[in-house]
Amino acid sequence: MSEPELSTLVTIKCKQQNIRAVRFNVDGSYCLTCGADKKIKLWNPHKQLHLKTYGGHANEVLDAAGACDSSHFVSCSSDKSVILWDVTTGQPIRRYRGHASTVTCVKFNEESTMAVSGSVDNTVAFWDTLSRRQEPVQVLKDAKDTITAVQVTNHEILTCSVDCHMRLYDIRVGKMTSDYIGQIVTFGSITHDGQCFVLSCADSTVKLFDKESGELLNTFSGHESKDLLLENAVNEKDSHIISGSANGEVLYWDLISSNCTQKLVHCKQKPVVSLSQHPTENYLLTACEDEVKLWGTKAMEE
Amino acid sequence: MVDSDSEEENIIRFGTPLEPYEEDEVPAKRKFQQQPDQYAVDAHGRRRFHGAFTGGFSAGYGNTVGTPEGWIPTSFKSSRSEKAQVSNFRPEDFMDEEDRGEFGIAPRHLQTNNEFSGQKRQRQQQFHDGPIPGEPVLQQLVRAVHETAAVKMLRAMGWREGQGTGERLAKEAKRRAKEQHKVYGCYMPPEMRNENPPQTDEDSSDSEIDYETLFAPDDYEPYILQRKNDRFGLGYSGLSRHSVLGNLVGEYGSDAGSSKSHLVMKDKGKKVSIRGQAFGVGAFEADDDDIYATEDMSHYDFAIGGATIDKQKAKKTKEKTVNILEGFVKSSKPLPSVPSYPPPALPRDYVPAPAGSRRSRFEPTTETPRNQGLGRHELTAAARGALLGESPVPKTITDSISNENKQVQSDPIARVVGRNVNFVSTSDNTTETKELDFIPIKDSGKELSNVFKPFVSDPQKQARYERYLKDKNSVIQENNSTIDDRLTEWERSRELMEFEQAAKLYKPLSGIMEERFTHASEPDDGALNPLCAVAKSSNNYGQATPEQIEAAMKGAFGSITRQETAWRPESLVCKRFNVPEPGTTRDEPKKEDKPKVSYSIFSYLESSVHDKESFTKEQTKFSGSKSLNMDAINRTKLNEREKNENKKEPTPQMPVIINNSTGCNKRMTVAELFLKESENDLKNKDQGVVVTETINKFDKMDLYKSIFLSDSENEEDDGGENAKTTDHTDFIEKPKNTERNTSPPRGIFANIDFDELNSWKRNSETKNSEKATINTTTEMIANDTIDKKGNHNKQTDNSDPIKDIEANVYGPKIPESLKNRLEDTGALENNFKPTFRSKEQRDLVQEVDSSSDSDSWVEAKEAKTKKQKKKKSKKHKSKHKKSKHKKKDR
Repeated sequence: MSEPELSTLVTIKCKQQNIRAVRFNVDGSYCLTCGADKKIKLWNPHKQLHLKTYGGHANEVLDAAGACDSSHFVSCSSDKSVILWDVTTGQPIRRYRGHASTVTCVKFNEESTMAVSGSVDNTVAFWDTLSRRQEPVQVLKDAKDTITAVQVTNHEILTCSVDCHMRLYDIRVGKMTSDYIGQIVTFGSITHDGQCFVLSCADSTVKLFDKESGELLNTFSGHESKDLLLENAVNEKDSHIISGSANGEVLYWDLISSNCTQKLVHCKQKPVVSLSQHPTENYLLTACEDEVKLWGTKAMEE
Repeated sequence: MVDSDSEEENIIRFGTPLEPYEEDEVPAKRKFQQQPDQYAVDAHGRRRFHGAFTGGFSAGYGNTVGTPEGWIPTSFKSSRSEKAQVSNFRPEDFMDEEDRGEFGIAPRHLQTNNEFSGQKRQRQQQFHDGPIPGEPVLQQLVRAVHETAAVKMLRAMGWREGQGTGERLAKEAKRRAKEQHKVYGCYMPPEMRNENPPQTDEDSSDSEIDYETLFAPDDYEPYILQRKNDRFGLGYSGLSRHSVLGNLVGEYGSDAGSSKSHLVMKDKGKKVSIRGQAFGVGAFEADDDDIYATEDMSHYDFAIGGATIDKQKAKKTKEKTVNILEGFVKSSKPLPSVPSYPPPALPRDYVPAPAGSRRSRFEPTTETPRNQGLGRHELTAAARGALLGESPVPKTITDSISNENKQVQSDPIARVVGRNVNFVSTSDNTTETKELDFIPIKDSGKELSNVFKPFVSDPQKQARYERYLKDKNSVIQENNSTIDDRLTEWERSRELMEFEQAAKLYKPLSGIMEERFTHASEPDDGALNPLCAVAKSSNNYGQATPEQIEAAMKGAFGSITRQETAWRPESLVCKRFNVPEPGTTRDEPKKEDKPKVSYSIFSYLESSVHDKESFTKEQTKFSGSKSLNMDAINRTKLNEREKNENKKEPTPQMPVIINNSTGCNKRMTVAELFLKESENDLKNKDQGVVVTETINKFDKMDLYKSIFLSDSENEEDDGGENAKTTDHTDFIEKPKNTERNTSPPRGIFANIDFDELNSWKRNSETKNSEKATINTTTEMIANDTIDKKGNHNKQTDNSDPIKDIEANVYGPKIPESLKNRLEDTGALENNFKPTFRSKEQRDLVQEVDSSSDSDSWVEAKEAKTKKQKKKKSKKHKSKHKKSKHKKKDR
C-alpha cells in the first residue's frame, strides 16, 4: 500500500523560543504548543490562527495534554508543577506541586478526570482533577530514573524511563509489568489497537514491542537520536510508525516491513523533537525550534 | 460758651467712654461667659490628654499614628504585576510625631548631653602661634561643663580658679615664697627681673591691708619644656615669619620665593600638590599678594644686594659647620624625636558604653537573642545518623577515590579529559570499596527487624515470619506448596496478611527512607565542577539483572526481560478510570474501618461495637490464633457473598460486615478461653440467668423498634419483621461479649456445662436429648418468635437446594443469632466444617424431635432450608436501617 505523499500545509512561527512539545487536541482541530518561554499557546493549525496564550508557569513548559471535552488542559513544567487550565478563560484552575523535580510529561485519562504526570524525580503521580485535592492520589515509585513519557489508556498506564525500563500498570488486573529495554527509552506510544508499544530508544532506534509477551516485534532505524528525547507516533491507521530525527527529518516506517517509506524534511540539521499525529486523519504536526509545521496530503487540503 | 467749650477741651479723660445709653432700651444683662476649659493641647491644637480625669495619658484617636482611625495594620499583597515591596518598619513608624518630640518617649532633637564632657583630663596643648595666638577662641567658648572629681573636691575645699593650691598665706609669706621660687638652669639675676618695681608698689598698698589677711598661694604655672628646634640662642625668638596662611615666610635656610607659593612641585614636576589653607585667596590667584599677610621686618632686606649676601651667607654657614667651637662636637645623629605613647589598642569587640549614658529603648540591642531552637541543628551529621539508625560510614571513601585517581592517571584518555569518562570499566574494579561508599541503610533495617520478634510465642510462626521478611515471594510460594499442611489455605493467607502488617508496622525509619532514595551510581563531581563531562547513564541498567542485560543485548526480549509484580491502584484511581478495584481477595484495612465518633443514640447503643472493633483489630494483628484464621475465612466469605449480593451499594454495607466479622473474632477467642476453664471448675449450671438475659434482650429490642422502626417497617410482612428482630439481637448481644472478654466466665457461661456440650459433639444422639433438658426453660419465652419464623420459613421454602447446602457449609449463611449461640456455647471451638456438618445432622434429628430449646435453637431446627432467603431479607433490612442511622447521625 502506497502512502500518499505528505507535504507541508502550514508553517507556524510560534515565537516561543523553542517548542518543547506540540499536541493535537482530542479531535485534532486545535493544537497546543509548549514553549521554552514558559508559555503555552493554543492554535488552530489548519487556519493558522493563534487563539490564546497561557502564562503561569515559572519555567519551561515541557508537555501538555488536552481534555476529552477540550474545556481544560493540563501542562507540566520544569518548575515542578502541573497546572490544570481552563481553555476559555486562560486561567490556571489548579496547580499541583507534588513533584520534587522537573515534570517531563503529562497525560489525561480517557474521561479527563485524572491527570498522570511523570517527573525527573522518578515518580509518576496521579492527580484527581475533579476534586480539590492537592496531593497526588497515587504515586508510582518503581522507576529508578527520570520518567520520560507517560501514556494512558482506559485501563493501563505506560511509563518510559531513563532507567531503560518500560513499565505498564494495569489497573484492571492490579499488576505492574516492567520490561527491560536495554536502552534509554525516550518516548513510548501505544498503537491504536492497544496491542503494541512503540518505544523510541536512545540508540537511534524505534522498537516495536508486543504488549502481551514483551517480545520485540520490529526495529526501525535510519534516524539520529543523539541525546535528544525524540518522540514517535503511530499514524491513524496503525500502518506506519513516525519519528522525528536530530537532523531535521521526520521518518515514516512501514509497521510490518520496517522500511522507511517517507522522509519529510522539516528543516536542515535542527532536531525535530516533538510531533503529534492527528487522531483520525492523516495530519502530522512537527515542532522544530520555534516553528511548527502541519503536514498533510494535498487532496485532504482541498 | 466759649469758656465751657474751652473747659471741655481742657478736660482730660481717661478710659473708654461707655456706649451711648438710650433710655428706652433696657440694658441687657450680659451673660456670664464661662471661660473655656483649659485643655493642654499639642502643637496642632489637638487635645493632649484624654481619658481618666483628662490628665493621665495621651490616648484616643487624636494622637494616633498618622490617621484619625489610628494605625492600620497593612496587609501583605503581592501579585505578579505588582511585587510586594519589602518594608522594614522601624519603631518610629508606629509613633506619633509627639512621641518623637521633646517630651515624647523617644525624643529626637539635638540637645547637649548632661554628662557631656570633652576630654576630662585637659591635655597640655601647644597652640598655634599664628595671627591669633593662644587657645582657640572656639574652644574657649565651648567648654565642657564637666569637672573632674579632683576639681570638684578642690572647689569644695574653697579653691577658686586661678588660685594655687595649698595653705593660705599672709602677704609676706607669699612674697617670700615667690622669692624662693626654684628655678632650674640659669637663674635670672635679680636686677634683671622686672617684677620688682611693681612689687614695691604692692608693698606700699600692703601696708593698708590687715596683716592677718591671708591670701591663696599663686597658681602653679606649669613649666613646659619646648624642644628647641632652631639654632638661635636660648630664649630667643626671632621675627615671626608666619603668614596668616600658616606657612613660614622667608624662613632662614629656605627659599623665600618657594615657600611663598602654595603650589609645590613634587617628584620633579610630575605632581603638583597644594599646600596651606585655602582661605580667601583663590587657587588661581597665586600671584596675588597674601592679603592677610602681616608686615614683618623679615620682609625687608637688611642689606643691599640680597642675592649676593645669600651666597655669602651660605658660604659662611658652610664655614661655620666646618669650624666648630672648641670643646663642642658636631652631633652625628639628629635630635631624638619626642617619644610618643600611643593609646593602648582596644580589644577587638569592645563597644564603648559610657556608664552614665542613657539609651533609648528603641536602639538596636547588641544582645544575642536566646537560642530558642530545640538544638536540632546543632547535631552533627554523625549524631543525626545515629538517631536515624544508620551505621557510620567507613572511612574508605578516600581510598576508593584515590584508587580512581590512580586509574585516571593510568588511562591516557581519562587523563586528557581530566576525569573518568567511562565509568563502568572502573566500577568493576572498585566494587568492593564502592559498596562501602554509602550508608548501608538496608542492613541496618534488617538488624532492627531481627531484633523485633512479634511472634515469639509461636516459634514456628516466628520462623515463618523471618523467612517472609527475607523473601516475600518465596514464602508465598512455599506457603502455597507444602510446608504447613496443618494450616488451611485460609490460615495461610491470614497469616500472610499478619506478616505484611507486622512488617509494615515494624519497618524502621531507615527502611522507609530506603524506599525513597537510590544510591548515586557515580560520585557527584558535577556539583563541584560544572565543566566536567557527564557520563551517559545508559550504562546504568536500573535494576536489570545480568541475564536481562544479556537478553536485551541479544535482542531476545520477552519473558527474560519481563518482570511482573503486583501493584495496587488506589480506589480513587480505579473509580476515575471506571475500572472495578482489583485484588479484593486480600482486604487491607481501609480508612472506613476507623471507628467514627458519633453522638447519636446509636453510638451509645452500639458503643461496644466500636470498642470491639478497635480491640479485635489489635488482636488480629498479632495474636494469630487458629480461631482467628477461621474467622478470616468466615469474614472474607462473607464479604464476597455480600458484595455479590449488593454490588450497587458497597459502602453502606461495609460497617455491617465489620461488625459481623469482629463479633465472630471475639467470640471465638472467648470460647477458647472458656473451654479451658470449663474443664476445671464449671460443673453445675442454672438456666435462670439465661432467661433473664433473653428477657432483657427483648426489652431492648422493643425500645429499638419503637424508636426507629415504627413507621416504615410496619407495612412489611411478618417474615421481614422477624428477620429484623434477629438482627437486633445481634446488635444487642455484641456488647455483652466485649465485656466478658477478659473477665472470668460468669453470666451465661458460668452456668453452662461445657463438658456436656463437648460430649455432645462426640456423641450426637445423646447431645440432643441433653440440650433439650438444659434449655427447656427458655423455650416458653421464645415460643412466639418461633411461630413467626415458622411462617417465614414456609415462604422461603422454594430456594435453591444447592445454594442451601452451600449455606450450611459456609459461615455467612447461618443466621447471626444462631451462629452466635453456637459459638458462645463453645461448639465451634476447633473446626468449622465439622461443626456445621454436625449441626445439619442435629437439625435433621431435631426436626424429627420437634423439641425446641431456646429461640435460636428452635430457629436452627425449623429454618433449615430457608436460611438463605431469610438472610437476604434480613440483610436488606439491616442495610436499610443502617442508612437510616447514618442519616440521623448527620
